[in-house]
Amino acid sequence: MTVKRKWLMAGGLFLLVLIGLLGWVVGGQGTPFGLYFGRDSTWHAMEKRSVWRVGVDPSFPPFEWLDETTGKPIGFDVALAGRLAETWDMQVEIVPIGFDSLLDALRANKIDSVLSAYPYDPRLTRDFAFSQPYFDAGLQLAVRPGSPIHAPADLGGKRVAVEWGSAGDMVGRRLQREGIDVALAPFETPDLALNALFVDNSIDALLVDNVTLRQAQASGRPVVAIGEPLESVPYVVVMPTRARELQQRVHDGLVHLTESGALRTLEETWFARRD
Amino acid sequence: MKLSHGRSNIRWNWCARWGAPWIVEYFPWAYVEGQPGQFDWSHSDQVIDMAQRQGLSVVARLGFVPEWARPKDTSPLYLDEERFADFGRYAAEFARRYAGKVDHIIIWNEPNLALEWGYTKPDPVKYTALLRTVYTMIKAANPDVQVLAGALAPTLAPPGSESGENDLTFLQAMYDAGAAPYFDTLAIHAYGWHFDPDDPAHPDVVNFRRTELLRDIMVRNGDGDKQAMITEGGWNDHPRWTRAVRPGTRIAYTIRAYEIAQDEWPWLDAVSLWAFRYPWDQNSYQDYFTFVRTDFEPKPIFEEVKRYTQGHGS
Repeated sequence: MTVKRKWLMAGGLFLLVLIGLLGWVVGGQGTPFGLYFGRDSTWHAMEKRSVWRVGVDPSFPPFEWLDETTGKPIGFDVALAGRLAETWDMQVEIVPIGFDSLLDALRANKIDSVLSAYPYDPRLTRDFAFSQPYFDAGLQLAVRPGSPIHAPADLGGKRVAVEWGSAGDMVGRRLQREGIDVALAPFETPDLALNALFVDNSIDALLVDNVTLRQAQASGRPVVAIGEPLESVPYVVVMPTRARELQQRVHDGLVHLTESGALRTLEETWFARRD
Repeated sequence: MKLSHGRSNIRWNWCARWGAPWIVEYFPWAYVEGQPGQFDWSHSDQVIDMAQRQGLSVVARLGFVPEWARPKDTSPLYLDEERFADFGRYAAEFARRYAGKVDHIIIWNEPNLALEWGYTKPDPVKYTALLRTVYTMIKAANPDVQVLAGALAPTLAPPGSESGENDLTFLQAMYDAGAAPYFDTLAIHAYGWHFDPDDPAHPDVVNFRRTELLRDIMVRNGDGDKQAMITEGGWNDHPRWTRAVRPGTRIAYTIRAYEIAQDEWPWLDAVSLWAFRYPWDQNSYQDYFTFVRTDFEPKPIFEEVKRYTQGHGS
C-alpha cells in the first residue's frame, strides 16, 4: 500500500468518525457531547420531530380532563400548550400520565415538559427547570363590586364565607388569631361559599381558591378579587434543566400570550362554567 | 432526617395542647447504631424525654437497617434473616434503655408492601420469623414492654402481586406461620380513603371499618384477649387525589372515627392518625394528611379535633 493510499484511508476513516459523532450530537438527547457543546438536546429532538410532548394528568378541570365525546384530553393547560407550540410551528402531543408520575416521566425523557396545573416546588430546582407562573391557584379574598373592603384589615366586624376546613378557613382563623374580629361562615364546598356571597346579604366577603373565583368570574358572576393571593400556589411549566432553548421559548411564549391578552382569553374560555 | 431539639419540643408541646395522649414516633436503627455495637442514643433520649415532659405516651416504631447490616445496594428496609438477631439486639437495647418510659414497640412497618420490605416480595413467614427473634430478645431485656406487630398497609393487592399482599391474607398467613406468641398487640393502619367511617367493613374495600376484619382474624385465631392499636390512618383532603375527600368531610369523618373507636371497639387501646406534621412540604397529596403545616400553622382539622377532645364536639 502506498503512503498516499494510507493517508487517504486514514482521512476517510477520520471523516466517517466525525460524521458519526455529529449524528450522535444532533440526534442524541442528553449525550455527553450534547452537554459538552452546551446545546439543548430536548429542543433539537423536538425540532426534529416537530412535536412537543407534554405530560398531563387529565383529571383536573378546568385545567385538564378527558372530553366525554372524543376521550381526548382538553382544558386550559392543553389549549395553552397548543398555543405555545403554535408559535414554534410545532404540534403538541399530549401524553396522559398520573400526577405523581409526571416528573418521573420527564426525568426518563418520555416527555419534554409537564404542563398540568403543576405547582412550583422550590425543593426541585436542581432537578428541573420551572417557567414563570402562568396561573396562581392560591387563596384569594373576594367581594361584591362596590364593597368597602379593600384589604384583609377591613374585615373587622364582617362576615366571611369559607369552605369548612379549607385553606380559606385556615387563613380566616389566622386573621382571628391576629386580632381581626372577623366572623367565619363555613360551607361544605367552595361553590356553596361563593354562592352565599350572592344570595345572602349578611355575607360580606369570601376566602376562596383562585380557581373557583376565576371560574365564577369567567361565568359572568359579579365578584371582585382583592389584592394579591393571601396564599400563593403558582402553576408552572416544568422542563429539563438542560433544556435552555426550550425554557427560553416557553418564557417568551408566556410573556407574549400574557401581554397580548391571549392568556386571559384562554382562561375565560376554559374557566367559564359548562354545567 | 433527625429533628432538631427545638422542633421536637415544639411538636410534643403542640400534641399535648391538642389533647393527644399517644404519639407514634419512628426510631430508625441506622441513626442509632451507625457502626455495629456503637449506639448513639442522644437524639432518641431527647425525643423521649420531651414527650415524657408533655405527658405523652410514646409508641416507638423500629426499623431502617444500617448499611453495615445489609448487602450492598439494598434498601434500608431490607433485612436478611441472618441479620434478624442484629436488629433484635438494637430493639432489646432500646427496650432496656427506655424501660418505664416507652411501653410499646412496633416491629417494622407495613411488611406486606414490597416497598417497605426492601423491594422484595412480602413474606408473612419471614416476617413471623423476624417477630420470633426480636420479640424474644425484647422481652428478655424488658418483660413489661408491649410488642406490637402487623402495622400492615390496607391493600387490595391481588394474589401473587409483587408489590404487596392483601393485609387480611397476610395477617392470617402470619398466624399460620405461628406468629401468635410473638406479639402482644396488633398494630392496625386504618385509612378511610373516600369512604364514610360508618360504611360497613368488606374484604374488597379499604375503609375505616376494615379494622374490624383484622380484629375478626385475631379472634378466629384465638387472639381475642389481645388488644389492638391504630397506629396510622385517617383521611386526606387533597384537591385532586382520587382517594381524597373535601376538607370539611375529612374533619367530620375524623371525629366520627374517634367516636366509633371510643364507643364500639373496647379491644382498641389507641387511635393515632397520620400525620401530625411533616418536616417539609412533600408537594404532593401527602401534604393533605397532616394536621398542622410545616410551619406549625394549625389546619382547621387540628382546631376541630382539639374542640372534640376538649368535649365541645363539632
